[in-house]
Amino acid sequence: MALSKKTLVKNWLLTYSSETCYNYERLQGLGNTNAFVPVIRELYPEDKQAEELKKYLVFYNTEPSWMGTIINGITCAMEEKRAEGADISADDIMLMRSSLMGPMAGIGDTVSQSIAYPILAGICIQLALAGNFAGPIIFDVGYKILQLTCGYNMYMLGYKKGRDAIVDLLQSGIINRVLDAVSIVGLMVVGCMTVGNVKVDLSWLEFDWTNELGTVSLNLQTGVFDALLPGLLPLLVVLGTWALLSKKQVKPLTMVLIIFLVGFALVGIKALMGLY
Amino acid sequence: MIVQAILVALITTCCTWWFSHVVTRTWLYPLWSGFLVGLVLGKPVEGMMIAAAINLPYVGFITAGGSMPGNPQFAGPVGTALALVSGLDVNSATTVGVILGSVTIMVWTAYMSINTLWVHMAEDFLNKGNIRAMRMCNYIPSFFVSFILNGIPAMLVVLYGAPFGEWFQTFPQWIVDGFGIVGGLMPALGIAMLLQYLNKPKLMPFFFLGFALAEFMGLTTMMVTFIAALVAILLYNYQSDSTKKLTGGEA
Repeated sequence: MALSKKTLVKNWLLTYSSETCYNYERLQGLGNTNAFVPVIRELYPEDKQAEELKKYLVFYNTEPSWMGTIINGITCAMEEKRAEGADISADDIMLMRSSLMGPMAGIGDTVSQSIAYPILAGICIQLALAGNFAGPIIFDVGYKILQLTCGYNMYMLGYKKGRDAIVDLLQSGIINRVLDAVSIVGLMVVGCMTVGNVKVDLSWLEFDWTNELGTVSLNLQTGVFDALLPGLLPLLVVLGTWALLSKKQVKPLTMVLIIFLVGFALVGIKALMGLY
Repeated sequence: MIVQAILVALITTCCTWWFSHVVTRTWLYPLWSGFLVGLVLGKPVEGMMIAAAINLPYVGFITAGGSMPGNPQFAGPVGTALALVSGLDVNSATTVGVILGSVTIMVWTAYMSINTLWVHMAEDFLNKGNIRAMRMCNYIPSFFVSFILNGIPAMLVVLYGAPFGEWFQTFPQWIVDGFGIVGGLMPALGIAMLLQYLNKPKLMPFFFLGFALAEFMGLTTMMVTFIAALVAILLYNYQSDSTKKLTGGEA
């Protein structure tokens, strides 16, 4: 018995409620249990429905809006076969979901949060600051069109290819190649974001020396950093933060505190130099 | 005013309580949520500009696995509301946004922790075979958690936030400067988190390439993305060709 198109669309749309009751214990587990209700209702008699839904109420976390919908598409294809009596256990479905959720989160978060969002925000914030209503509207509408187009096509791709999609994805190493390709775009966009967004201004660090030959002044910003390489200071800040996060395993929240300490230490130096 | 306050409270609630990403995915970002608040408060132009200013430090914002280096869902609508009712200018709004977004990280943590309760409730219902009640657990309780944590503070800000503007003017310059510097450094954290998340040391030169194209050649983000897509496609095709050769190709 094939699932009706209506049920598939419902399941796809309900996937977007994955994070309505977002929590630390099972993350999107409850949201996905909710999303699979229409599917299970169509495939199973009423007395079996709750039992079949239990396999979704487990720890589950992926990128649910752009790319991760493929997992729910594949799941539907598997559920269909399982209901027909094929040799697919609930564990098989859970295993497929938990082995794909990581890689799909990697691709999805890169596409949505390191490519689409920075590009849209970069353009639209400038428009909005200039007083142009196109700013927020392009941001909202553009983001949603991209998100729904990607999400729908990935979902249907997963459903049509079913289990073959997993074999293709995991065994041929295609997922790593896609992840690499997406990462390249992500990294370049993020590198470009460093310019103009990370702002470090040390131009107030100016030292004057006066001797019999006259006054020599050294400005740390324009005389040293900018002279060495334009944009060096923001780049160093990013790389330093990255080193702390990855090499020293500093937590992001601790990093927020460190940024505050650095910010106010700089203010302290400014005060010591008598700039207030 | 009370109607506006309630509407702002509901907007703020939905910035954290994502009932459906079809609608609320973009509400995470101040640029949109602040604009909505501006519309409700009858100052769409000012609201939009303030919202954009609050969004600036969060351009490199990434959430992975529910951990967030800031709380723009709160800073966006509440910061915009505060700026509009108390008459703050655009630059001060960025500062206020940074303060709100950092201090309220714990609000997000509380939300994510409290919601764990509803999962257990849902599990009990499912064990009893009550599917409808399980579904309600996904939607209803987390709305009230978000309303209490985010909506009520937003409502109070709209109703009683007016004197904040004058109070803010009395802040010593060094405090304002300090938060200004923090706001300038904040995007570095988002970018660094992204680098750590991608975790592909071999691909790091592409980060520097993106930086170089923007800084040395002055290319815009769109232009860099265009070049990046070309590079990615070329390398993807090249890689798949070499894989085919290794495995004997289509023969």
